[in-house]
Amino acid sequence: MMDWVLSATALVLLLNLGVGMIRVYRGPTPADRMLAALLFGTTTVAVLLVLADWVGLPALRDVALLFVMLAAIISVAFAGLPTTDEEER
Amino acid sequence: MIGLAIDSVLALGIVWMALQTVRSDSLFQAMLMFIVFGLLMSLAWARLHAPDLALAEAAIGAGITGALLLVTWRRLQVHGPDDSNGPRLMTRWLALPIACASALLVIIIGWTALQLPAVPGTAGELTLQRLEDIGVSNPVTGVLLGFRAYDTLMEMAVLLAAWLGARAVATEFRPGVLPGPAHAEVPLVGALLSLVVPISILVAVYLLQAGGSAPGGAFQGGAVLAAGGVLLCLTGRLEAAAQASALERVGVILGLAVFSLTGLIVMATGGPMLALPGVWAIYLVETALLLSIALTLVLLFAAAPGLRRAP
Repeated sequence: MMDWVLSATALVLLLNLGVGMIRVYRGPTPADRMLAALLFGTTTVAVLLVLADWVGLPALRDVALLFVMLAAIISVAFAGLPTTDEEER
Repeated sequence: MIGLAIDSVLALGIVWMALQTVRSDSLFQAMLMFIVFGLLMSLAWARLHAPDLALAEAAIGAGITGALLLVTWRRLQVHGPDDSNGPRLMTRWLALPIACASALLVIIIGWTALQLPAVPGTAGELTLQRLEDIGVSNPVTGVLLGFRAYDTLMEMAVLLAAWLGARAVATEFRPGVLPGPAHAEVPLVGALLSLVVPISILVAVYLLQAGGSAPGGAFQGGAVLAAGGVLLCLTGRLEAAAQASALERVGVILGLAVFSLTGLIVMATGGPMLALPGVWAIYLVETALLLSIALTLVLLFAAAPGLRRAP
């Protein structure tokens, strides 16, 4: 039962990632894409935490920890970018 | 059943992301696709029961590559040619036949590998049996430092060579200086730094220590420590110096030097070269490797011979 719940949760979260991909793909502004990518990182952490229990690999929690810790770096790098009005072409 | 569905979604997502990374029209979109591709890859490694690789992917992908790509894009915007916004994908008529031939080659190799009978007593099995002799219970660390120490040593030499090469090129073609980050003085940046940088040191040491018995080790720890340094560079707290200080020179070769010296001392006392004499030697070498890896990665990120504190 527990296995079923965990794997179903992982699948739902993964499908969420799939929906997020559309936003990364379509944009239209760089900020939209960036936010979608950051949301992607958060959902990846959730999937990893679920997988850690489902697959039985506690080390995956370390991977999730790294993603949470390092997520800020990309946003800092992005916030330092000059503002451009790059449009979807 | 659900497992199969998860794997299919992951596989499809990875292939689609890879395709979009290569053929997207805008450079920025391609870069973000690549960052997301890294996230999916680490999930794939997790599904394949390879947490070591998932750790490395997370540390390198989230900590260094993403920031490196974004900073490069920024340099292109400021200094690059006007048409730097699009990769100008040109399709040649040869592309399709070559792609099909390559795919066929991969299928043939994979099929042949699947047909090979399993040989008993391969190196992997022998290694797992003799892991106790090394003194660490994580097979990856055991193989890297116990059974393939020479390989690991050469990887450090490759990293050093990469840095030397980057230095040689950087004096010729200095990457354009970026205008200082606009957010350097925002109070939130200081708060973020005072949280993330100490935690990155803590996590790096934790990964090094855990590497003996669980996934982790010098490479992952070094990448995490480097991510802390990258953040300091990004927020303008560290900036490029014209010359490497003596400490930095020592730090860059520390891993290679400590590893070689330990291996040679063992040889001088009658053992085989690089056979590390116990768990303490493994941790000594790993610590030196971690420091060298982290420093080299930060220097490569900054594309500078050395770093100094910003005034």
